[in-house]
Amino acid sequence: MFLNGILNLTNWAANVIMPTLAGLLLASAVYRFSKAQSYSHLSYAGFAALMCSGLLRLLETFAQQAGAGDPDRYWISILTLVNWVGNVMLPLYGVMQVVMMVLHFAGLLERMTIGEAWVRNAVSAMACFGLSGILRLAEFWIQNGTAGVR
Amino acid sequence: MSIPPFLASLLQLLFDLAVPAAMCTMVMAGLALREESGMNFEVGGGFQRWILWTVILLTLPQFLAWFAAQGINLPPQSGAVASPWLTSMETTVTAFISEVIVARLVPVLAAFFVLKATLDAAQGVSPLGSIVAAIFLLSISGTVSLMQGFNSGTTLATTDMLASLWNYLAGTILPEAAGLAVVGAIIAYAQRRPFARLVFTALAFLSVFGLWKLVEAMVG
Repeated sequence: MFLNGILNLTNWAANVIMPTLAGLLLASAVYRFSKAQSYSHLSYAGFAALMCSGLLRLLETFAQQAGAGDPDRYWISILTLVNWVGNVMLPLYGVMQVVMMVLHFAGLLERMTIGEAWVRNAVSAMACFGLSGILRLAEFWIQNGTAGVR
Repeated sequence: MSIPPFLASLLQLLFDLAVPAAMCTMVMAGLALREESGMNFEVGGGFQRWILWTVILLTLPQFLAWFAAQGINLPPQSGAVASPWLTSMETTVTAFISEVIVARLVPVLAAFFVLKATLDAAQGVSPLGSIVAAIFLLSISGTVSLMQGFNSGTTLATTDMLASLWNYLAGTILPEAAGLAVVGAIIAYAQRRPFARLVFTALAFLSVFGLWKLVEAMVG
């Protein structure tokens, strides 16, 4: 039936293809990092590719804050999205900024620029040799994350 | 004045061929769906028209019963084709549709859509439209059975079936499509293309009933 076809297509794309592509996205991120180019969107995309089901569950949770026939359902789902971004994602991003502040203060990131590239090259080499491990680590974090914050 | 037996049999033949004809209109709807991009449909376009014809064919007795209820004199449905020649013709046409069109031609058309999807991807166009159209074509028998289940049996069965189709689409199919929208958003993000519209689309897919109630409330 059409429903089964769409359901299996969605499951295949989200649970088979995207986690496989996550490795490619992280490999691309490592390559761009080694060239001192912007790599963050590729690494985030790699994580997101491992979390398709979780992201859909997240959107379903946003949408289910109001009843199915509630005229305000769409507005409330967007409001919940905004709340989540403001109260969950931004604090996490803030923590990352504090870490970056410390790294910048220590001068580590300056050594990873084009002018003095040995740290960047060393980190890139380690990432190249250990990409499989990085992917397993990301999967471990995500699988742990399914249990929620403990 | 009574209807001549041959004409009554001919009429019954046409009634009996309504469901096989609905299969054919669904095939045409699948082809029109791909023509209209595969993931969307044109208002007043071929897909919409063929689906409407499918619904009318599946609810033909109830549809005519509404006119009969208004006082229009319609010939009764006899229940069986009396003429052996017409019976053999009905059997042949039904077998042709089920054994040739549905069982063999439709899978080949769907396979060509899969081929088209790979060629679309090679050209940098989304392959999803062709894949959705292929899935639609391969599920025609199941979809017609599902639609027959939506037949309320009343004189308003045609509109009831359309309403049930809307409910099925909004409540069952679109939440599945939300998953595809999330996958599309991640791919767009990785390619540095706009992705927010797909996130909001996924939320809309999960809230179609609410949006319908919202528009109703706006009208008052």
